[in-house]
Amino acid sequence: MSARLLAATLILLAFMPGLTRPGLPSVAVLLAHPQQRATASSRTAAPRAADGKPDFTGVWQGASNRRGSWEEANSGLGVGGTGKDPTAPANPASQQVITTPAPYQPWAAAKVLESFNKRGIDDPAALCLPPGLPRLYLVGLFPIEIVQTPRTIVFMYEYMNVFRTVRIGASHPPDLVPTYLGDSVARWDGDTLVVDVTGFNDKTWLTGTGTFHSEDLHLTERFTRVDKDQINYEVTMEDPKVLTGPWTIRTTMMLREGTRVQEYVCAENNQDPDHYERLLKEGIGFRRP
Amino acid sequence: MNPTVRALSLVVVIAVSAAPLYAHHSFGAEYDVNQPVTVTGVVTRIEWTNPHSWLFVDVTEPNGSVASWKFEGYPPNALYRTGWKRDVSMKAGDKVTVTGWRARLGGNMAHSREITLADGKKLFFGPPAGTGDGGNTPAVKVP
Repeated sequence: MSARLLAATLILLAFMPGLTRPGLPSVAVLLAHPQQRATASSRTAAPRAADGKPDFTGVWQGASNRRGSWEEANSGLGVGGTGKDPTAPANPASQQVITTPAPYQPWAAAKVLESFNKRGIDDPAALCLPPGLPRLYLVGLFPIEIVQTPRTIVFMYEYMNVFRTVRIGASHPPDLVPTYLGDSVARWDGDTLVVDVTGFNDKTWLTGTGTFHSEDLHLTERFTRVDKDQINYEVTMEDPKVLTGPWTIRTTMMLREGTRVQEYVCAENNQDPDHYERLLKEGIGFRRP
Repeated sequence: MNPTVRALSLVVVIAVSAAPLYAHHSFGAEYDVNQPVTVTGVVTRIEWTNPHSWLFVDVTEPNGSVASWKFEGYPPNALYRTGWKRDVSMKAGDKVTVTGWRARLGGNMAHSREITLADGKKLFFGPPAGTGDGGNTPAVKVP
């Protein structure tokens, strides 16, 4: 088997639903680090809080599986192309492959495809509105800070400077008003934090371009800090108005010691919506062929 | 690197880059990947602003006229983590070379990628081409 074919096969395996058990890294991640697997016993265990639970406190980078500081982990191309290697490819998007398609109902899939063909100019985030969940965990350019207490876990996202509070052992209030990030309550399943999120508005995207949802969106997230450096993140999205069934994706968040979450005021100088308006008004072709 | 390790490394890159890595807005809609541009000129102003920074460069044409170019780039936080130091790495008056892709709206506007500084050092000032436009594959199956 050629190296390229082997790689392609592994990718397909990695994205086949049900192949990996909840809480475990995908096949791709496991196989991608044979040298790290060999030294797994030398890895530092996940730290524990005073109550004995795994402590997620720290600054993390989503959409990455590389260990080390921000600078070390983003050498070469870097997440989002922010590395320092001048020979890195100009367009890493060309390396993308077809993964398991999102399970949208036919009418909804057509709407997702329309956004894709319009190259995402209808992205709510382009208006500096809060990105949704789980999208915030798929943006690797900006760090996420987690602060944990026995009753509450707070996620502070540098991207758009939004935050969410996860109440452990609590129930959703009965009078939820729809919001961008919904209402989050959690319980512990062993060492995995299971977060239930509901009460969403319909103004965000789930993952990639055009992946809209309704106010009926319900998320079940599972956070497992498998060692000091890595959180495995799995999320199951359910939305009977838009999806044909549950949609589960997995990714990892990596500890970035020494990185600060900084201010990001998106509305400061956002010129892009005006450019889009001009593209549309002047009839300039930007759609996919 | 032996072929197996190289193949496995490829898996990491693809598995990670299949996610939308950067998504404030679609550079692909606003800028044309088929119109790469490289200019050399003098920095006149740098706006370290969110959601994106802007770099202004005056380029002297062969006939002596000066073209003022405007380049869009990463937000300040990303520039900082990519190795930029505000008011140190690049200042007004510096001669630099900028590569990027032209705006579909035309004019002397582009989004930047790599900047070669006065001392020859190279740093990324903006994302790769097509960032934020959905990549090569839609999230849903194409009928």
